[in-house]
Amino acid sequence: MINANLKSSYAADERVLNNRYKQAFVYSMIALLILFTAFASDYLILIACQMGILLIAVVGINVLTGYTGLVSLGHGAFVAIGAYAVTIFNNVATGIIPAGIMPFFSIPFAVFLAAAVGVLVGLPSLRVKGLYLAVATLAANFIVIFLIEEDLFAPWTGGMVGLTTNSPNFFGWVLDTKREMFGLIALVGFVALMMAQNLIRTRIGRAFIAIRDRDYSAEILGISLLRYKLTSFAISAAYCGLSGALFAYFYARILPEQFELSLSLNLVAALIIGGMGRTMGPVFGVIIVVLVPELIKVLFGALAGDSAGVGQLRAPLQQIAFGVLLVLFLLKEPLGINQIVDRILRAANRWPFARG
Amino acid sequence: MTMNRRSFLATSAAATALTGAPIILRAQPKEYVLGASLPLTGPFATAGQLVAPAFAMATKLFNDEGGVAGTPIRFVTEDSGYVPQNALNNYQRALASEGKNMIGYFADSTGAMKLIAPELKGENARIMGSTSFASELADPTTHPYQYMSGPSYQSQFDILLQNIKNEGGEKVAFIFSNTEFGRDPIEHGKMRAAELGLEVVLEESTKAEGADIPTHVTKLAQSGADHCILQGYVTGVWPQLIGGARQFGLPVKFKGTFWGMEKLIADRITAEAGPFLAGYEGVMPYRYFYDREDAPRYQQYAELSKVMFAGTPLENYMSTWALQTMCGLEIAMKSFRDTAEAGKELTADNIAETLSNIKDWDSGGFFGGPVSMVNNAIGTGRVYGYNPEDGLFTPKSDWLSV
Repeated sequence: MINANLKSSYAADERVLNNRYKQAFVYSMIALLILFTAFASDYLILIACQMGILLIAVVGINVLTGYTGLVSLGHGAFVAIGAYAVTIFNNVATGIIPAGIMPFFSIPFAVFLAAAVGVLVGLPSLRVKGLYLAVATLAANFIVIFLIEEDLFAPWTGGMVGLTTNSPNFFGWVLDTKREMFGLIALVGFVALMMAQNLIRTRIGRAFIAIRDRDYSAEILGISLLRYKLTSFAISAAYCGLSGALFAYFYARILPEQFELSLSLNLVAALIIGGMGRTMGPVFGVIIVVLVPELIKVLFGALAGDSAGVGQLRAPLQQIAFGVLLVLFLLKEPLGINQIVDRILRAANRWPFARG
Repeated sequence: MTMNRRSFLATSAAATALTGAPIILRAQPKEYVLGASLPLTGPFATAGQLVAPAFAMATKLFNDEGGVAGTPIRFVTEDSGYVPQNALNNYQRALASEGKNMIGYFADSTGAMKLIAPELKGENARIMGSTSFASELADPTTHPYQYMSGPSYQSQFDILLQNIKNEGGEKVAFIFSNTEFGRDPIEHGKMRAAELGLEVVLEESTKAEGADIPTHVTKLAQSGADHCILQGYVTGVWPQLIGGARQFGLPVKFKGTFWGMEKLIADRITAEAGPFLAGYEGVMPYRYFYDREDAPRYQQYAELSKVMFAGTPLENYMSTWALQTMCGLEIAMKSFRDTAEAGKELTADNIAETLSNIKDWDSGGFFGGPVSMVNNAIGTGRVYGYNPEDGLFTPKSDWLSV
């Protein structure tokens, strides 16, 4: 029995937030984010900033893997491109573009550059699928890091030594505290999430989903695989580039080793845990990926103190917990936390009638 | 509710605590916090786990001595997995949760130091030591809050090259890992070698784990070098590179810098692969722990180790890496205490000023004599050689200052 969500016009059905629950959820989240920015402790703000930056990149992976069904293990490269592009742009354009409007140029530049490289990296997706594509994208990660570290480009990229970054400056307002940065990250993250939600109701989004469900059927239906697979790569790389740009603004320095394979794997892991192909999947995934290690830390700290001996025990435990969590989700709930939350909400919605 | 004597006392105590405590806390923190990131997992877990107990010992030792002007200290240690980004996250987390009570931080790699350096400004500045001897950090103008508890890698190269010159060496090979750590002193080393009239016949960069070592051994043989300096390795290349060279019958003398000078590793490799490390030499900023006759501070450590680490290998020997950490913590504590004694607030700027002005410090035996901070580093060291028979590194030169 399906109940509620009555829509009496096509316009209502086409809305981004197409039912009252979604609207209420989004508005209350906006209120919560504003309250959080104002009142949360420095520690919580810090963790939330890390989550926000990761979230935007995972939303990008979701567009590619969740909606279009293309696997990538190289998206750390696009985060790197975003981070380096924004910093190099800042360094080169200082004196040409006024500092107060710099982010309005540097962030789009980073996003477009990442998208352009995304198209290049996406080319193999036209010939290979699944595991083979994963390996092909893996190369992107290594090549980009290699190029950043190369002496030839070191005058711009800083080579292995990395680059010192600037705080973003909006019309003279320099976001040099974590709290101010959180304001920016939360705003950008929210818009990014809404754009992803919007994407899947457009022609492009439907094409992605058709490709995911059966690519040759999609092609027979008239969907150009070349165009839409590359568009998907470009959009997802653009999200990662945006995440990289915020990363560079958030941290005072960037090094090539921050964007290595482990970052790419983390992005995919967060998506699997959260739920692929769902708008809220990345949100749940990022919460778990960032919060579980923190919770283990806090719990252990409360139980046994902060000494190095405890740290020695706790460190491997955090990694084991992360691994176990991933395996559990793959085995028990491949659709991720989003699916669990859906079940709970559905049960609540139908109560006291049928559950499940 | 009737008020009896007991409830009156309890209420007044609670009221006093509520109103008075915050003022007292603001004036004098209950404890000072020192944060630390250690590689407890990952490629350098061996080093991290040998260093970790030093923090327990430091807590006891420093607090028994009265902490910082009577205020106890506490360490908050976290694992970094030897990933600079993790160390940065740890630093930011410690700063966010401990606030002003945190007066210092200890990082575990050059990468972490460089990543955290630009974060150290204004209210977020803290004094910071590390396991790194990266030359870039020995510059108070660019890194005012970071210090080094020994000579930079460039200074270590100076000491080694001087030693090679004194031994009558003519041709030197530099073999280094293709990491920042490996490349750090190479350019400077070439300059210094030219000044000393030494010819650099080979500059060979390898992977940090040294996967294609046999090629490098062949190149070394072709170069005709009489001395070879290894930089940027912890243990990875000894068996393959030095062992390979010995199998090849090369007479070249191998030398290393601080991170290639640990007795425990040399002993383990000797036990597993034979005594090919005979004649291996390298520069060490500190005395080895077993050489503690003239080192009163080491004797204190030894007494504490016997009690705190009874039944473990740490009971009788402290690794060079743990000594480096202890030396770093001693320097930090001296700066905190001197700043507090001078009646100044323990801000990063005040502490950094005290630290950079440390002159003729009697370290209690870490170094050969009194040492001073120059450019936030201590440019002193000594060449030690390894003997596989007794498993000891013994001095091959006097203490050299650069």
